[in-house]
Amino acid sequence: MEHIPFSVGNEGRQVFWNAEHFELWLFLFTFVALGIFAYGIYRRWQMWAAMGKPEIRWDDTKERLKLLLRDGFLQIKTFKDPYPGIMHGLIFFGFVVLIFGAAFDATEFHITEPFGIAFLRGWFYLIFSFTMDLFGLAVLLGVLMALHRRYITRPDRLAYRGESDSTADDAIALLLLLGIIVTGFVIESLRIHVTQPSWEVWSFAGYALSKAFVGVPAETAKAMHAWTWWIHTFIVLGFIAYIPYSRLLHMITVPANHFMQNRKPVGTIEPIRDFENAESFGVGQLDEFTWKQIFDADACTKCGRCQDGCPAYLTGKPLSPKKLVQDLKTYWLEKAPAAVMAKKLADEPAKWPYLGKKWPILNTIDFIIDFLLAKTKGMPTGAPAEKALVGEAIELHELWACTNCMYCMENCSASIEHVPKIIAMRQYKVLTEADFAPELQLTYRNMENNSNPWGVGSHLRGDWAKDLGVKTLAEDPNVEYLFYVGCSGSFDDRGKKVSVAFAKILKEAGVSFGILGAEESCCGDSAMRGGNEYLYQTLAQANIEVMNGYGVKKIITTCPHGYNALKKDYPHFGGNYEIYHHTEILADLIAKGKISLKKSMDGVFTYHDSCFLGRYNNIYTQPRTILGAVPGMKLVEMERNLAKSFCCGAGGARMWMEEEGQRINNTRAAQAIEVKADVIAVGCPFCLTMMSDGIKDNKKDEEMKSLDIAEIVWKSMDLEEEPEPVEVCAAPAE
Amino acid sequence: MNIVACVKQVPDTEAQIKVKPDGSGIDEGGIKWVMNPYDEFGVEEALKMKEKFGGDVTIVCVGPARAMETIRTALAMGADKGIHISDPALENADAYTTASALAAAIKGVPYDVILCGQRAIDDDSGQVGSVLAELLGIPQVTVVTKVDVDGQKVKVVRPIEGAQLVIESALPAVITATKGLNEPRYASLPGIMKAKKKPVDVKDAAALGVSADAKAKVGKFIPPPARPPGKIICADDTPEGKAAEVAKLLREEAKVI
Repeated sequence: MEHIPFSVGNEGRQVFWNAEHFELWLFLFTFVALGIFAYGIYRRWQMWAAMGKPEIRWDDTKERLKLLLRDGFLQIKTFKDPYPGIMHGLIFFGFVVLIFGAAFDATEFHITEPFGIAFLRGWFYLIFSFTMDLFGLAVLLGVLMALHRRYITRPDRLAYRGESDSTADDAIALLLLLGIIVTGFVIESLRIHVTQPSWEVWSFAGYALSKAFVGVPAETAKAMHAWTWWIHTFIVLGFIAYIPYSRLLHMITVPANHFMQNRKPVGTIEPIRDFENAESFGVGQLDEFTWKQIFDADACTKCGRCQDGCPAYLTGKPLSPKKLVQDLKTYWLEKAPAAVMAKKLADEPAKWPYLGKKWPILNTIDFIIDFLLAKTKGMPTGAPAEKALVGEAIELHELWACTNCMYCMENCSASIEHVPKIIAMRQYKVLTEADFAPELQLTYRNMENNSNPWGVGSHLRGDWAKDLGVKTLAEDPNVEYLFYVGCSGSFDDRGKKVSVAFAKILKEAGVSFGILGAEESCCGDSAMRGGNEYLYQTLAQANIEVMNGYGVKKIITTCPHGYNALKKDYPHFGGNYEIYHHTEILADLIAKGKISLKKSMDGVFTYHDSCFLGRYNNIYTQPRTILGAVPGMKLVEMERNLAKSFCCGAGGARMWMEEEGQRINNTRAAQAIEVKADVIAVGCPFCLTMMSDGIKDNKKDEEMKSLDIAEIVWKSMDLEEEPEPVEVCAAPAE
Repeated sequence: MNIVACVKQVPDTEAQIKVKPDGSGIDEGGIKWVMNPYDEFGVEEALKMKEKFGGDVTIVCVGPARAMETIRTALAMGADKGIHISDPALENADAYTTASALAAAIKGVPYDVILCGQRAIDDDSGQVGSVLAELLGIPQVTVVTKVDVDGQKVKVVRPIEGAQLVIESALPAVITATKGLNEPRYASLPGIMKAKKKPVDVKDAAALGVSADAKAKVGKFIPPPARPPGKIICADDTPEGKAAEVAKLLREEAKVI
């Protein structure tokens, strides 16, 4: 087909220059590549569908499409980490533009030009050329950043305890990307070298590179161009074909996972509904996960964001969320083929006559694919060893090291949900097998018998308030707020001081409130997160019965664990209340001028974010606002704060368990020491205990202390003489 | 191998014990009832024997209707069936009457070993296991921390002051358990659910042909006197001075030395 010659004023380029006769072959090879791609997706699809319980994650499509746009296209979660975020963004957005560009070329060449319409001309062509080169360079930069990171700087998150995660697959994927871009620029520069259009200075990268070919005769350059063109084509098609068999599959699984991400409140655990008839509880076998929980594992790109802030991993425990998910994936890959076959035979035996027999072509293809996959990804070949999911594929030490701090889920750029999987497997160990740490068994017995983890007599629950004139709801149910004190605030000596300070503030501010006293039960958070859903529900129901009996509407807690359980999990059992954390109430009282902070508090304060307040409930500002209102205080932030805060080590029932090796709380306290804090301010009784102990273990208890926000506020209100330290051995009165 | 484990329901160790104003007993309101911890060691050992040798574990308990919960707890841990001796007439049973009721019930079941707690933490009498063995006419080995069954013999370890005895006995025998014997298991949830359907025979004193007349009767329950506040020894700062002060107080005030 003839077209108007390109010239200044009618700038453009001939698509398929020097490759006019390759078109048919290109179509053929493309067809083959797409076939390999489609077969890979088909195989994978069958594997996704073969295992796991049903779960609907495509309700409310409109909202989910927004999430897909936010996390999938705009990559908001990926950008939370600058270097890898920019690295990935350069490659991703670079390719988005390049693919659009290729689509423009193809549209013009195959669709509009036959009708005499050429839109890639003139100024549009020049801008188009410039843009394509710019984004081509962006991809190149991104790939070089990735290569540098993976093979030169090698951050720990791309390894597990110093052992690199990198497999041939990672290198192949990056080299394919690199190859596409480099050959693309070489093709462009050879074309420019031969055709020499003056306007191609707009294709600035290709133009600059074409200077390298000065002196190469046109015919030689054309031959080089043709060769490079084919190499480029094969790399591109190879890339497409390779997608379903490699880590490149994340281009499909990760956006899918963003679309299907959890839309319930952070950390919600679906309650077990049938205790009476089930034979097994939680997840002991892969098939007991939902299919989405398994799909999660396939979406993992082992980027290691989760591992980077995991308190268990960073203190040398065997757990790494990345490793856990990858181990799950490996286990699934071992189990899935047999499950696919079993499902086919069960579903439609007539339709799959060859199954279980030799069906040479497909079997051979599958064998070759599996063999190559095993070689590129370092996966074991041959029949998988029969091993248990819980205890072998996932070791018990890993399972029990998790503090449920939610760092992994908050920071995962693929919307993977680690914590519910861990809880489900713990449920299996606790409920079905009753095989778990003796100290946790004791904790649960204490919670069963006395409704608190320490096992202190439950009749003593309200004693902390004895001398404060705080009424129980039994005495006066007509109050605005129930102060749900929780176990720490009721039984732990340190926690009781917080309850007292907070109750005094409420009384001073004229807030109408009451407590449940001995009628209060443990909130059950530690039971639930430690896998004892049965005990948790027993406790929750006891609380709900009492609270509903008094017609409770608003509840204040000083403990984020109770806050979270009451707010998110009690509604499952008919407990629907407005829940407030005491820092929310205190911030409000200060804002409304109901309390005034007068006394200056000297020293450097740092606020330690409780996981169950911050990451779980997005309460980051109120505690800081309160501290900001205290006169004289110098507030500094630790390096790990807000959504990237470091756990104290007590969540997920870890509070009640022995800890091996380096302690998480000591590590966190050391981070506060690093910023020269005099006081670690907290909003959680577990954190309070952990930080106090951490300060002691760091031998800083002479100069540092840990205080709850309520204690700081009460002191600053300056209404009470600080009690003189009791001199136990004062000189006897003469 | 058939094993019988005797259990008693007692108030939780942390429960607040209030004596009724007339001194006739304790006020049961608000009390959390649990399995006597020493009996729990017995049940656990019974289950271990069952796992090793097979057979049935039967739980036998004397107590009011509420004691059924404790039997179910043992069944949830893995025992097979229960006998609940429930009779208002046995409410004030002494150790002898309780043992007689247990003996009568146990005579009806095949057994190779009988396990009891060494004592109950409520009345602390520590007699039931021994009386039971006497009534059944079989040997007893008491307060043991290790049990090894070997054919028709059992070898146990019994700690005594500064040493331990290794005692061998023929079977069947009564073995009473103490702390250190084992770590009682936490019941699995399927276990708890299955326990609800396991058979428990409820019998009264008449059905067992046992006289409910207690040989020893409790005259009156009296709460212990309130503990006086502690004292901090301040007289002298040196350890020697403090020790002298303590000795003086023990002799003159407490009059114990």
